[in-house]
Amino acid sequence: MSIEFDRGKAYPVDRGTPNMRNGQGMLAGMGVVFKHFRDAMTKKLDSPAETSGIFTVEYPEEHFTLPEAARNFPILLYEDSSGQELCTSCFQCERICPPQVIHITQAKDSLTGKAVPAIAEFLIEYDACMSCGLCAEVCPFDAIKMDHAYELSTDVHGGLTIDRTGLDRPISYYEQLAPSFWAEVKDGALKKLQGTMKRRTGLIGVAPRMVETLKSAAPSTQREAAAALPATLETPIPAPSAAPAAAESVAATIPATDGDTKAAKLAAIRAANAKKDASVASAETGGTSTVLPAEGAAVADPKAEKAAKLAAIRAANARKDSSDTQAAPAIETPAEVPVIATSDTPPVVAPVNDAKAEKAAKLAAIRAANAKKNENPEGTP
Amino acid sequence: MQTTQELQINIGPQHPSTHGVFRMTVTVDGETVVKLDPVFGYLHRNHEQLAEVSTYIQSMPYTDRLDYFNSMASNYGLALAVEKLAGIEVPQRANYIRALMNELTRILNHATAIGFLLNDMGAWQTALAFSMREREKILDLFEMASGARMMCNYFRFGGIWRDLPTEFIPQLKQLMIGLPTFFDEFDRLLRENEILRMRSINIGILPKELAAAYSVTGPVLRASGIAYDIRKAEPYGIYGELDFDVPIGTVGDVYDRYLVRIEEMRQSYRMIQQIIERLPDTTGGHINPKMADIGRQKTLRPPVGDVYARIESPKGELGFYLVSDGSERPYRYKVRAPSFINLTPLGDMCRGYKVADVVVILGSIDIVMGEVDR
Repeated sequence: MSIEFDRGKAYPVDRGTPNMRNGQGMLAGMGVVFKHFRDAMTKKLDSPAETSGIFTVEYPEEHFTLPEAARNFPILLYEDSSGQELCTSCFQCERICPPQVIHITQAKDSLTGKAVPAIAEFLIEYDACMSCGLCAEVCPFDAIKMDHAYELSTDVHGGLTIDRTGLDRPISYYEQLAPSFWAEVKDGALKKLQGTMKRRTGLIGVAPRMVETLKSAAPSTQREAAAALPATLETPIPAPSAAPAAAESVAATIPATDGDTKAAKLAAIRAANAKKDASVASAETGGTSTVLPAEGAAVADPKAEKAAKLAAIRAANARKDSSDTQAAPAIETPAEVPVIATSDTPPVVAPVNDAKAEKAAKLAAIRAANAKKNENPEGTP
Repeated sequence: MQTTQELQINIGPQHPSTHGVFRMTVTVDGETVVKLDPVFGYLHRNHEQLAEVSTYIQSMPYTDRLDYFNSMASNYGLALAVEKLAGIEVPQRANYIRALMNELTRILNHATAIGFLLNDMGAWQTALAFSMREREKILDLFEMASGARMMCNYFRFGGIWRDLPTEFIPQLKQLMIGLPTFFDEFDRLLRENEILRMRSINIGILPKELAAAYSVTGPVLRASGIAYDIRKAEPYGIYGELDFDVPIGTVGDVYDRYLVRIEEMRQSYRMIQQIIERLPDTTGGHINPKMADIGRQKTLRPPVGDVYARIESPKGELGFYLVSDGSERPYRYKVRAPSFINLTPLGDMCRGYKVADVVVILGSIDIVMGEVDR
């Protein structure tokens, strides 16, 4: 039987001898097995040309070196020295993502209410991400790239929903992962970033973990922001009465166990610092300082400031409720704390304060800001 | 006088012999199979419906999950269909790299398919470990080129994602040195083995006529003696320029399917040799310049019409039927999955054999449930 094709033919496979060979076939196979058995004891398979020897990688102790193209989960890049994120919230990645796990909130100028080419929040659900890399491919600003890190397991429910703080990586980190990939796009990306930075004000678009560093580097900017603060402050806050203040002072002795108390505590500390520094708030007493914590606090963005205030008040209310009922139900669930940011990446600067509380407070602030924005779509003054 | 009674048993749905979530309702008389009904659907994940609400490029990563052993082949199927629909030219170099990836995939698939088949026969893990070792080397190459080992997402309409990195070809050449040794050893390991021969010769015979009637494709069809290979019948890409032969079986039993797969690996090896030889002389980049921008891929609106494009995936004819209404999303998206069609004659193949043979026959079809259920 022979069938001819262009450039080839069909041929029947060789079925071997029709008779059994009384164990010889089995012996031939055992010979192969013994060869591999011997080689597994004596040599290491380190070249693809070899077909025997040990080729296992003892994983937790040994790691593969990943090729440059390797991709696992997306990360966001920021410029090393200025802390400016490359992302302009153009929503391209959110649109192309096949499983739709990217959620972007665009930053808005707190004074004018206009959209700024920067992100207010950027969430990626790593647990639903399928690592296809289309987001990194589509990004016109080279702001989103695929990370190589793969040891991301966590026991926190929701711990794989990563926010901006967890996603941010310095450019130098990516450059070291994929030098030639970054070299291809470097010039264009940095040029585009320069253009973007012109349209950003203050600390909008700065990677959260760089905020502290930048402020300590340039205290004047901080003071300016703090000075600008009272002017932009609205008063959405109902004036606290004396009774809850007393309740709070009692509650303040309860050890901080959840995100609310932590956030409130942090806000209190900040308020105290601000008071000391700027010598304002002469009318405030120690009992009410938790209620108006944000005045002159560390974050410069007035909007975030306001939101932080709101969050603090909410936290205080929640605390009051819980102390009234002698139970401690958390009303605002503690924000999904990104575990990754602290564990596997080399952050350039570790936050000075308690990192967890910091993060929780910030997240709460952003959420409050978003909620507020949704309520008043026409924007704040 | 003693009488016998037929008994109905379920094999699966939890991983019958390592082949995924698949159930077989088997009616047995003693140890002989009287009737067998395959039951699918446990891994259904709406692939086609998802594709109809996604843009064309968004479906590309999902095709990786069809046949997760051969994501490159699944990618090729979709890319070919969309290119045919939208009339996109593919540069020569891209076509060569595509064929290279597909033949590597075929080696990878057949090696593991045989490994799992031998696993099912009782050659527990030894043969599989050998095939997995070769698979790892090929996956390393895939990772180097595409960034992922299994879910490659490497193909784009009009070409591929990136050109091969510089260290790819040297490592591939190293691999090519080792492959013939692997084929020979793998063959010698069990080809003449008495147990394997007893368990596979004249077991699960699928006659030519029946195979054609069930529209079975791929190595299963060729093992039944029909020399039908889409790379020859309807050459796509550069397969018209490559020299290779089509191995066919004579009996159509499990042993033939085993041998055909080993021979096909050797033919794929031949093709890769030719591709490596010609790759430096190829012209055109890795992607059609008109489609090089991902924005073009994203907003691709093929003209109104329908198309059926098919490739010879390692498991058989993988076809994509697309209907475009001129929008960014396909109006209809249908996958003709080889595993699914090849699984349908399972009842006929198993009738009259022993229960223990059912597992071997299932293994010889080489199914991936991701593709069967979609």
